[in-house]
Amino acid sequence: MKSSTKMKSTTKSKTSKEQFEPRILALCCNWCSYAGADLAGTSRLQMPPNVRIIRVNCTGRIDPTFILDALYQGADGVLISGCHPGDCHYTTGNLKMRARFALLQNLLEEAGVDPRRIHLQWASAAEGDVFADGIRGMVERIKKLGPSPMRRGGK
Amino acid sequence: MPKRVAFAQLSSCWGCDQSLVDLHLRLLEVLPQLEIKYWPAVVDYKLSDLERLPKGSLHVGFVEGSCRTQEDVHLLEVMREKSQVLVAWGSCSCYGGVQGLANQWSIDEAITRKFLKADTVTDPRVPDENVPGFTDHIVPNPDIVPFELIIPGCPPTSDNIYDAVVALLTGKPFDLPDRTVCDECPREREEKHIKEFHRTYEGHIDPNKCLLDQGYLCLGFATIGLCGAQCPSANSPCKGCFGPPPSIKDHGAKIIAALGAITDMSPEELKSMFPDPIGSFYFTDYAASFISKIATAERSDTK
Ligand code: SF4
Ligand code: SF4
Ligand code: SF4
Repeated sequence: MKSSTKMKSTTKSKTSKEQFEPRILALCCNWCSYAGADLAGTSRLQMPPNVRIIRVNCTGRIDPTFILDALYQGADGVLISGCHPGDCHYTTGNLKMRARFALLQNLLEEAGVDPRRIHLQWASAAEGDVFADGIRGMVERIKKLGPSPMRRGGK
Repeated sequence: MPKRVAFAQLSSCWGCDQSLVDLHLRLLEVLPQLEIKYWPAVVDYKLSDLERLPKGSLHVGFVEGSCRTQEDVHLLEVMREKSQVLVAWGSCSCYGGVQGLANQWSIDEAITRKFLKADTVTDPRVPDENVPGFTDHIVPNPDIVPFELIIPGCPPTSDNIYDAVVALLTGKPFDLPDRTVCDECPREREEKHIKEFHRTYEGHIDPNKCLLDQGYLCLGFATIGLCGAQCPSANSPCKGCFGPPPSIKDHGAKIIAALGAITDMSPEELKSMFPDPIGSFYFTDYAASFISKIATAERSDTK
């Protein structure tokens, strides 16, 4: 315990990008992606530990406020993972998310915030590997972008 | 006993003052109950008149406008110090206002554009004598000093101001309602499946049907219902100038949420319909949005 807190304080002063471990929020729908994430876990697929998953009933329930608020609170990236188009448990929730996501991308871009900080993917309950790939891709993208401006002390 | 009051203007268009004097004869009902200590919009008061007042000696201070200059920040702080009840008067004061849209650029870019590059400029130079410095970006007044009350609107209607002043004079609460402009709008609406949006000047607007149903971006559904739906009643879409109802944290996020649910378009089509989401969704409250705060941090970091 003691040594790990020590480690933390020594690495803190170094800010090079290699040591940056992104904090990513993943919002997963209950019926496909969360089950897919579960499968990835039980199949022991390797995934980077940078992601905190929140389960929602449907990606259609994700208010864009959640995403913007998460970025404001210092998340380095937000991943949204839902059922493939046509497979939504509630028929069209994921299509609503897809439309909202398109407008959010425009908004981030216009504001001058890299739109790659948010990402939308589809992964079914059987696609543990797709889910794990998505997480890996997200972590790589965010590592390239560096920490959230809200965490760089640039406020 | 009359209440001691002050009306201060930070960077603003003074439209909120205009809306107050638009009360016309009804002004006579409230004026005798007010002891005006500072109101430079109508009487030649100086800043020193306000600064000389004892701390907390004003019953109510009304602040219009937002802080674009260091002088504005000073005036805001003086108003806070002198007022028992401080009121953010108008969307500029509550949310940063139209000038908050400038938060899309650094202050240097904004100054270059306005004073050196604008098409109408014939003698390009940046004024630097006897002027207060600019603030780096617009921060909503309630994030600078605490307020007891906000009255949104660009401007608030004369009735809104009258109601707020009467409430303040009689000690009654003035709570913002959680209703929207749609709740006040008389137009007939249907189930929405919008396939295309039009600019306001395109096509013919049916005066009885919901503007959104007809493919005009009307923001009544995400905007607090205080104005009596005056734009849709005049055949013009709501631009959201009063900001959101109290339960909504971020105006534009709410608009995006709703557009995702009521449009029937491909993501590409939707993107091409809204090339300027900031201008379209955050007309008077961009400075108060999550995304403006994130972008501002990003900029100050890379400077
Ligand atoms: S809120 Fe609107 S009307 Fe009032 S000062 Fe600001 S820009 Fe003018
Ligand atoms: S969207 Fe506009 S036109 Fe339609 S009901 Fe709401 S305020 Fe009225
Ligand atoms: S209808 Fe909308 S834009 Fe018009 S005054 Fe009311 S809130 Fe403002």
